[in-house]
Amino acid sequence: MSSRGLSRWFDRKGWAALLVGAPYLWLVVFFLLPFLIVIAMSVATKTPTAPPYSIGGEHPWINLGSFGRVLTDSLYLRAFLTSVFNALVAAILCLLVGYPMALGLTRVSKSWRNILLMLVILPFWTSFLLRVYAWMGLMGKSSWFNGLLTDTWNLLVPIDWAVKSVPMMNTNFAVVLVMVYTYLPFMILPLYASLERLDPTLDEAAMDLGSRPSQVFRDVTLPQSIPGIIAGGMLVFIPAAGELVIPTLVGNASQPMIGRLISDEFSQARDWPMAAAIAVALLVLMVVPTMIYSHYQARAEGTK
Amino acid sequence: MEEPFLRIEGVSKVFGAFQAVSNVSLTVGKGEIFSLLGGSGCGKTTLLRMLAGFEEPTSGSIFLDGRDIAGVPPWERPVHMMFQSYAIFPHMTVAANVGYGLKHEEGLTKQQRAARVAEMLDLVQLTPFAHRKPHQISGGQRQRVALARALARQPKLLLLDEPLAALDKKLREHTQFELMSIQERTGVTFIVVTHDQEEAMTLSDRIAVMDKGQVKQVGTPTEIYEYPNSRFVASFIGSVNSFEARVIERTGGFLRLSVPGLGGEVVARDVAGVVEGQSVTLAVRPEKITLSKERPEAANTVQGHVKDLAYFGKDSLYRVELPGALLQVHAVNARRGDEGLRVADWYDAVWLSFDPGSAIVLVD
Repeated sequence: MSSRGLSRWFDRKGWAALLVGAPYLWLVVFFLLPFLIVIAMSVATKTPTAPPYSIGGEHPWINLGSFGRVLTDSLYLRAFLTSVFNALVAAILCLLVGYPMALGLTRVSKSWRNILLMLVILPFWTSFLLRVYAWMGLMGKSSWFNGLLTDTWNLLVPIDWAVKSVPMMNTNFAVVLVMVYTYLPFMILPLYASLERLDPTLDEAAMDLGSRPSQVFRDVTLPQSIPGIIAGGMLVFIPAAGELVIPTLVGNASQPMIGRLISDEFSQARDWPMAAAIAVALLVLMVVPTMIYSHYQARAEGTK
Repeated sequence: MEEPFLRIEGVSKVFGAFQAVSNVSLTVGKGEIFSLLGGSGCGKTTLLRMLAGFEEPTSGSIFLDGRDIAGVPPWERPVHMMFQSYAIFPHMTVAANVGYGLKHEEGLTKQQRAARVAEMLDLVQLTPFAHRKPHQISGGQRQRVALARALARQPKLLLLDEPLAALDKKLREHTQFELMSIQERTGVTFIVVTHDQEEAMTLSDRIAVMDKGQVKQVGTPTEIYEYPNSRFVASFIGSVNSFEARVIERTGGFLRLSVPGLGGEVVARDVAGVVEGQSVTLAVRPEKITLSKERPEAANTVQGHVKDLAYFGKDSLYRVELPGALLQVHAVNARRGDEGLRVADWYDAVWLSFDPGSAIVLVD
């Protein structure tokens, strides 16, 4: 092929190939290759070298010991359970708080909508760490916030149950609270996107046919926003389950979440194969439900 | 006097600074097909939404079957609506859509509900599509789902917002007659909002012509067409040739008018409330004018020549130029013939004549 023919071929096919190929290339270089490295590491053997593992070498070539520990050691199992529980509670609370906000966004005038949407995203403009530290201050024993909660508690319960301060810091409650605060926009935005597409005349039609507003919500709005609920739920649940910073800063050290264990194995224990095995297990735990969901989603769309 | 089925009394609706409906009073009888006809922004849809309960009148009241329905929320009104966009629930099957309103009907067993849905699907001939989702059926079928859904609860009043606007021409004509036959079978009172005068004329028992939030005229299609009460109604419904005129004399049930546009005098049937010397508008429908080569023996004749001619098959439209005006004349091609047998050809000198009874004299 002459060079002119080549350039003409590129003009015809090349740009399209480049456009389609770029995201794949990105995924291969920044996701698939690192992930393959992590998988390889997870079946390697821990060595006192730098880097502290070796793949292959002596028999056995593939060392499944790390996975064995992930599946049997109660420390890891409990960490998985804590992570899934905290992430699930955070996702559900985000849904309960975020749904009315997203619905409210669709019901206000266009100009108000833009302002409110801005306010939803506004917290991202300050550093994430700064916001977590702010919460640490609020939850601490001597803060006004804790004082207010303490006074309210003491006012409502019998005198025997009175406390000096509400224990918030270093609890799972604190982890969930800060995660809800941090991930709320990830719930609101997909919910808003799916609610905003709904045709308001459908609500009127349901009302016209005898439904009160609460029934309209149950029969018309809620079923049509399920894709948004699932998208928002996953956007909150998946990063929350692997969260490292929030449990480290405000969580209970004796009840670690899985992200904390991965970090500890990498840095303190220098057991990279173990860290990699936990990471792979976490990924499987997150990916399988996602795949099941998209399978049913595709089927539902196929029958539509 | 017996209380009419639906009585709208002095109803106005103001949105901010915009007067959408102003002081509308109407009565509709039971089992009638009543149309609200007007251009966009004339207030017809707002009036319909006030009947459905989506808007509350700023002033005035609405009585349905003798009961004031002000403040009754939409879900408690025995009034159902067929929306212009049909507003079919996309996540439910056709049968679930039709049965949706029945969920709220107390004292219905599951079987009775299913039977009512089946009956409604049969009424609109959608039984084979009961288990399809809305996006799996055609636009015409969706329209019928919307109709069946609105009729399922046996409303006292069915509101139809531009029921045929989204259908193509062939389907529209067919659906018009279907709507009329369904109305006859169910006996439900229909209120139709439309901007399409032909649709209103064929469907309705009576029509209210609306403009700028006001009702201009209420009457049967014939009354509206043949006896319009204002220039707006005359020109909105069908086409019309209109001229400035002045009343010269009022005698013996006739008016003698001076019409400068027609270059002389015209005799028209007398109308109430006209005085000699008054300025009025003379309107003549194109099909009421007779066109001939020879001067006819008639009360009102003028001479002109054919400027333009459009042949439509069953009829032809002539544009006849007079010294001071251009007139449209519609002539039915009652006999078959080749081009040479046409009444008149381009540039021919012709005589136009019309009956005093066909001349519409408008004060407004």
